Amino acid sequence: MGPYLLKRLLLVIPALWLIASLVFLLSKLMPGTYGSQQLQQSDAGYYSKGDPESREKAFRQYLRKTGQDLPLFYFSVTSLPEPDTLHLIYPETERLFLKRMAWLYGDWTLVSAFYSSLQQLEGSLTATERKSIQPHMHALYQHTRSEQLSSAVDSIASTLAASTDPLRRLQASTHTLLDTREEYAYVLPDFRWHGPDNQYHHWMRHLFEGELGTSYRDGRPVVALLVEAIGNTWWLMFISMGLATLISLELAMLMVRRHGRIWRRSVLPALFFLDSIPLFVLAMLLLVLLASPAFLQLFPVYGMGYYTEVSLSWLQAMNQWLLFMALPMVCLVLANLPYLTNQFYHALAGTASQDYTRTARAKGLSESGVIRRHMLRNALLPIITLLSDFLPALVAGAVIIETIFAIPGIGRLLIDSVMARDYPVMVGIVVLVALFKLLAHLLSDLLYALADPRIRHTAA
Amino acid sequence: MRRLMETIGTLFKAKLAFRLALLYLSVLVLLVVALPWLPLPFLPNELDLSKVFAPPFHWEHYAANRPFHWLGTDALGRDVLVNIVYGARTALMISLPVMLLATGLGLFMGSSAGLFGNHKLRISNARLLLLLPSLVAMAYYTLYVPFQLALLKADMSAYILPTILAFAIPGVLLFIGAPMLMRWDSLKKTTPFPFDHIVLRLIETLTSIPKLIFILVLAAFAPPSLLLLSALLVLTFWTGPARLARGEMLRIKELPYFEAAISSGVTQWQLIWRHAMPNLLAPVAVSFVFGLAALLMIESTLSFLNIGVSTELVSWGRMISGIRANTAAWWLVAFPGAFLSLTVLALQTCSYYLLQASQEKR
Repeated sequence: MGPYLLKRLLLVIPALWLIASLVFLLSKLMPGTYGSQQLQQSDAGYYSKGDPESREKAFRQYLRKTGQDLPLFYFSVTSLPEPDTLHLIYPETERLFLKRMAWLYGDWTLVSAFYSSLQQLEGSLTATERKSIQPHMHALYQHTRSEQLSSAVDSIASTLAASTDPLRRLQASTHTLLDTREEYAYVLPDFRWHGPDNQYHHWMRHLFEGELGTSYRDGRPVVALLVEAIGNTWWLMFISMGLATLISLELAMLMVRRHGRIWRRSVLPALFFLDSIPLFVLAMLLLVLLASPAFLQLFPVYGMGYYTEVSLSWLQAMNQWLLFMALPMVCLVLANLPYLTNQFYHALAGTASQDYTRTARAKGLSESGVIRRHMLRNALLPIITLLSDFLPALVAGAVIIETIFAIPGIGRLLIDSVMARDYPVMVGIVVLVALFKLLAHLLSDLLYALADPRIRHTAA
Repeated sequence: MRRLMETIGTLFKAKLAFRLALLYLSVLVLLVVALPWLPLPFLPNELDLSKVFAPPFHWEHYAANRPFHWLGTDALGRDVLVNIVYGARTALMISLPVMLLATGLGLFMGSSAGLFGNHKLRISNARLLLLLPSLVAMAYYTLYVPFQLALLKADMSAYILPTILAFAIPGVLLFIGAPMLMRWDSLKKTTPFPFDHIVLRLIETLTSIPKLIFILVLAAFAPPSLLLLSALLVLTFWTGPARLARGEMLRIKELPYFEAAISSGVTQWQLIWRHAMPNLLAPVAVSFVFGLAALLMIESTLSFLNIGVSTELVSWGRMISGIRANTAAWWLVAFPGAFLSLTVLALQTCSYYLLQASQEKR
């Protein structure tokens, strides 16, 4: 048993590592970091840092503090004209503009010369002048073809009339840019080696130390957030899983009876129909029917009701908790019932034609005795496999249910962090879910040994 | 293909539920195809703030030649009936192409993994050596460069050269470079390529966390776009058909007729296409239909949660999410939910009977 478990563990770890790495790297490769969004928001606020220079400084400070100024991976393959300091430039529009210029014209030194002359010109203008060339400036910042650049610069020059020094410099740098343009320089890749001082390396190291970083949203450690949220999800899943298993086992045993034709006839089609209702539709339907003032208000609608009373005895608290959790649990049970019952029924029906079943019947055991003592035990193995495979799928259901019923659990945390692009939390949840799957497999192996003495004895 | 059609024909005659499901699906497809010519009084995103949360069949407002909200309106006065019809179009337009692509990819990966196993596919060391740079070049020119160009809003003409290079460089490396390297004996030797192993590990990785969570997490990084979402769905849905195709291929491989085909010296290509594919088609059709139903559910769930799709996308899920503003508006969940469930039910009925038919034949 031991070596087998170890092998299983070793097989799961690469998958876990791949998934976590994929999520981490993708979150970093996508444009728009959470930090820049926040800085943009704080621009509008009371503490806005007026001039662009101090804003850029604040952005760089933020990057250094969160380690985002380091290269992403051990090596990078970028397009040749793209400089490696581009990610430090702060307003994202500016960064995109410079990147586009670099890709279009193929030479970073010329592009930066052009850009600095452009900034000088903008600095030397009066407010009215700036307003008069606004549309041309806009065209310049948005251009995607070289002809648009020259025409934009020409119209800026003609609008400004008086030829000043910065204007002449801009025209000159535009000319050199257009003349020495290397149109397809961007197809050439540039390979850079960064060594182990990179974001991925640091992240992996922290991950092995059991540290998942801090949330972007509120700066709290991810582990604390997960621990806080997991309780609700765990009980929701555990109880609804247990209920669903019990109900479906009983249903399957009813159907497998020799006189259970009427059950087979009525339950199977009903479950087939229930299976085709998506979970969120089912939840919304129940919510509308049972928790809305327009119909029956049997249950409270949203949340956990923590805020209602000051102090409750544990019985009252339990009662309230159950009241709020009842509908979510009913949803999860109903959604999982069809699949489970079907599988249990087939597992049980498979044992019905076995010799030992016939023997048990022949020696005069009651129908329920035959099913519960003889058939069920032999059908347990596929049932255990099924349950362990099913646990992770339940997490997906919990995500939907928690969002709809506003239960502060893992699923809701996931949705919230997805909305806010809070990648450390997302990576943490992915790792947690994958770990959960691993644990479910291990648990099923242990249960195998409990259910089947043959496995226990050959393994020992 | 012909046999599959025959199966569907006999099922259609014999089973009432199958006939109903197929008829419902064809009516739905017809409706979606004929949508541009239908005389609908509203557009799906047309707002009507004077009639917010209008209940369905509200006869007091009915007038003979004025547009009427048959099934009511939502929080912004959008017509429910029109949204249901257009939502059907969105659902089909996402799920059909995605499932086709995913089935194709899964069929290719799974059947080759089953056929070649870990030892049958032998690659010369020279090619193996050049495979890595070719893959890197391919990834650079088909993924990185176009993505960056799209981000920078470059001209269409900028995409041409990278596309050519994406196929030219691997081609030159593998078909001109490799034969040149084969002058050395050590590079000429062939080693088995563990295709089966790689495909299995890939599937295991992709299924190690639930599909919905995987898609949610990946969709968070990208700006909401239909194309990216479809790509994500293909990425997560090809594993089902691949597993099935691999299992079936392992079974077919041992059948006498297949061994006869191998011993009569048929090429690999013909083996797959002429001899394996016709037998693979029935189980793959089942998984295709089943996958469609799963896709419909995932798509509507995503638009319900409003993740990965823009709010302008008309869909059943978006309409159902409108009820969270007003739980008394039961028609917002009842009608689109009923259509969604009916469609899923019809698809599952089809796949159930197809599965039964293909199992009976064995």
